[in-house]
Amino acid sequence: MARIYEDLSTVIKRARLTVYFLAALLLLITVAYWKIQVLDHQKYWKMAEANRLREIPITAPRGLILDRQKVILADNIPSFKVFLLREAVKDYEKTIDRLEPLLNLKKEELKKRIERYRSIPAYEPVVIMDNLRLEEVSIIEARKDEFPEIKLEVEPRRYYSFGSTAAHVLGYLQEVSVDDLKTQPEKRWRAGEMVGKAGVERQYNDYLSGIDGKIQEIVDSLGRPRQEVSRIDPRPGKNLELTIDFDLQKKAEQLLEGREGAIVAVDPRNGECLVWASSPSYDPNRFISRFSGDEWLSLINDPGKPLENRVLRGLYSPGSTFKPVMAIAALSEGIITENTTFSCSGSIELFNKEFNCWFKPGHRSQNLPEAIKNSCNVYFYQLGRRLSIDNIAVYARKIGLGQKTGIDLPGEKEGLVPSSDWKRRILGQPWFPGETISVAIGQGPLLVTPLQMACMAAVIARRGVRIRPHLVKGEMEGLPEEKLDIPESVFEKVIEGMWRSVNDGGTGKGAYQPGFEVCGKTGSTQTISRETAERLARKGMEPGKTHSWFIGFAPRHNPEIVVAVLVEFGGMGGQTAAPIAGELFKAYREKYVRQANIQGN
Amino acid sequence: MLDRRIFRETDSLTILLAVVISVIGIAFLYSAIYFQASHYIWRQIIWLIVSLIITMVAILIDYKFLLTISFQLYVFLNIILLGLLLFGKKVANTRSWIVVGPFQGQPSELMKVVVILVLARIFSGYREDKMSFKTFALSSLVVGVPAILTALQPDLGTALTFMPVLLGVYILAGIRKKYVVILMIGLLLSGFVGWNFALKDYQKKRIETLMTPDRDPRGAGYQLRQSKIAIGSGGLTGKGYHKGTQSQLRFLPARHTDFIMAVIAEEIGFLGVVAIFILYALLMYRIFSTAWISPDRAGVYLAFLVGMMIGCQFLINVMMLVGLFPITGIPVPFLSYGGSSLLANFLALSLVLNVRMRRFAFI
Repeated sequence: MARIYEDLSTVIKRARLTVYFLAALLLLITVAYWKIQVLDHQKYWKMAEANRLREIPITAPRGLILDRQKVILADNIPSFKVFLLREAVKDYEKTIDRLEPLLNLKKEELKKRIERYRSIPAYEPVVIMDNLRLEEVSIIEARKDEFPEIKLEVEPRRYYSFGSTAAHVLGYLQEVSVDDLKTQPEKRWRAGEMVGKAGVERQYNDYLSGIDGKIQEIVDSLGRPRQEVSRIDPRPGKNLELTIDFDLQKKAEQLLEGREGAIVAVDPRNGECLVWASSPSYDPNRFISRFSGDEWLSLINDPGKPLENRVLRGLYSPGSTFKPVMAIAALSEGIITENTTFSCSGSIELFNKEFNCWFKPGHRSQNLPEAIKNSCNVYFYQLGRRLSIDNIAVYARKIGLGQKTGIDLPGEKEGLVPSSDWKRRILGQPWFPGETISVAIGQGPLLVTPLQMACMAAVIARRGVRIRPHLVKGEMEGLPEEKLDIPESVFEKVIEGMWRSVNDGGTGKGAYQPGFEVCGKTGSTQTISRETAERLARKGMEPGKTHSWFIGFAPRHNPEIVVAVLVEFGGMGGQTAAPIAGELFKAYREKYVRQANIQGN
Repeated sequence: MLDRRIFRETDSLTILLAVVISVIGIAFLYSAIYFQASHYIWRQIIWLIVSLIITMVAILIDYKFLLTISFQLYVFLNIILLGLLLFGKKVANTRSWIVVGPFQGQPSELMKVVVILVLARIFSGYREDKMSFKTFALSSLVVGVPAILTALQPDLGTALTFMPVLLGVYILAGIRKKYVVILMIGLLLSGFVGWNFALKDYQKKRIETLMTPDRDPRGAGYQLRQSKIAIGSGGLTGKGYHKGTQSQLRFLPARHTDFIMAVIAEEIGFLGVVAIFILYALLMYRIFSTAWISPDRAGVYLAFLVGMMIGCQFLINVMMLVGLFPITGIPVPFLSYGGSSLLANFLALSLVLNVRMRRFAFI
């Protein structure tokens, strides 16, 4: 044996020790692999899945919005948008630098956009561009392999077929805010989702919005899609049928063109709103994009307040259109009868103060229908003198003033019906009887919306039944109507006056339509703030002008349509608002009343 | 003269183990780079065949003869390494490749085998219980020169694989504690002085990138994370051959070389990993056990140093994949793609076979 010549025991001992050490190390490493592969398997498996799977949402098309004859008012058109997949981004600075020339976006805007969504989990893609032009789409599509962190997608985009028509009913969409995203109770919205912010788009958002689908795809380490794993198609939202009549709506908007005001028409038989016009209006298509800050700001800052829905948010004094309420109160309380006469000499002194009639020479002696026809202030001062403010308030409230009508749109205002209690609470002063005289002709602290006035006219038209106004077909169906505890005969007497106002040479004669017994009441209110007057003077308008009101319905028996018109600074009610209402009655009659059986009495 | 008994003593089990591991490597190479050109696989197969033939030839030559020419080989290869540094063409950002026709090779890999031969030669007659300063300095220099030349190419991974060999020599020859202290102080001092006074900024930067190899632009942290995800998601039995999402979708970096074990762990799971470990343990046992049946001191050194070279490289790699060792470009012997490395490992193995088959030669 070679060992005879050489003693190798020392080196062999050292070698063996080292080998034992290495063997022990291998055992330890095996334990480490066992921990990772067997004990922590679930955790790493999930991480591997998250690595390779990516979910891309597919926006569900919103339901269409149609008018009562199924004219499409709000449609969907395909539009391209660009997502930034933040999980695929390693370095935002570099990504922004690379994307700037490709997308032609400003760096600052891109940064702001990314910053805005910083608190939202990174797996949610961020829309960094929408409404792409076709050239942009083709450039991005051609270079998509170089930019795995962005993704081009088609989304159905809202398109309002007739621009500003019925804009205040339809409303508009805006991107869901980051605050809403963070505070949403369950997962309702995605980042970048467009949600209704006004009008029926907002009121019926959940009904319209449908359920988004999603694509699950396998991606490689560079974020390039390799294979689609699954695709859940989106469920489109349900269509919404409005009670609006497109033709009448167009007509009403034409009549308001160039003015600031509101027109609302309601079918008193069921509460369906046929017309809902607020002027000035806006084209919601112009800021449906997620990136339209400038246009949005200019609309918000427009002194004409085009975004304001005047029909349910505009607060005005009712003026003489309040007189029917006074008549109903006085008749119900037994203070007057149909034949009670008061004499008008052009003015009257009450509570040591002179109150004028609008007609200086005076109306002489007249009964209730004549006073309504002439809109005689003195007659109604007399009623105000005999009724307490609280009594007036009771009837005004019964008829629906001072409270929301319950219309199916967001943001409705209540208006104001003053009472002695109200004044004490708000101003801490007692009610003075002289103030009641102002209220008697619809001035003073009274505030109403055009919608409330239309509903008031509907109560008269229905002889004491309160309607439930609504904009979506079938919305209020089945709800019982409220019958007021006021005798029908009271309404008949008021209607007689309103009929004579239009058909017998009264203040409302501008609304006269042959063969379509229109009953109505005009109003002119002198409420104008100094700033508004100055603004109007700059625009070359007459600041001294009053708001012009008309409320009315037709035909006298079995009424089919109620109309309320308000034109801001339109002058006398009979001058501006009544002819507008007349045009609308005419349009309605031409469209709906084909038989000629409703000739004059 | 060749004795016929020598051939009877040829250790076919060791060769078989090495070939099995290499074939497994090629199988997973195919899985890992399926989307890339297939010439990788053919190259590796050709390298395996060539390595086997060279191994067969090499074992015919008595290792004692190889020891006698080891100094010449050593000097020759050092000149080549130096030449590469000065005149070499850059391939993949390093000057570590010699290109001869269709084949390219890394002399630094072969250098490891030659270094082992030189060390065995030096210590073949060294009978002291502890290492003298002279032998300490000499052995450090023998390993240090080619290691530094390789590090300068720059190929830090391969340079580091020289270290287990040096460590093996220190252990076998019995290093004194004071040399360990000297070694530590020397390393720290030269590092400190070099960093603060000698090196220019761009050189420092180069070293920084050496220390944190940025093969993948997403950095070493990303590599480790993806490697752990691959291994962990494999579970007990794996996702199936060619079905690993981490490797197939290229989340794993360097799948065919440094991270091939992560591919295996993902696709055949913990049981597969244990199987590979057992194969290696058997191979290592065959190598190391040659040391204790070796007829002479040189044989002990040869077998042990080859064992250290192959074994430590394997252990460092599998530790690196799970974060037990910093990520450095160290491939797995026999398993990873790379012809020079395969050939060098087979040559190293041939030295061990050589010792084993000739252990009775002088009876």
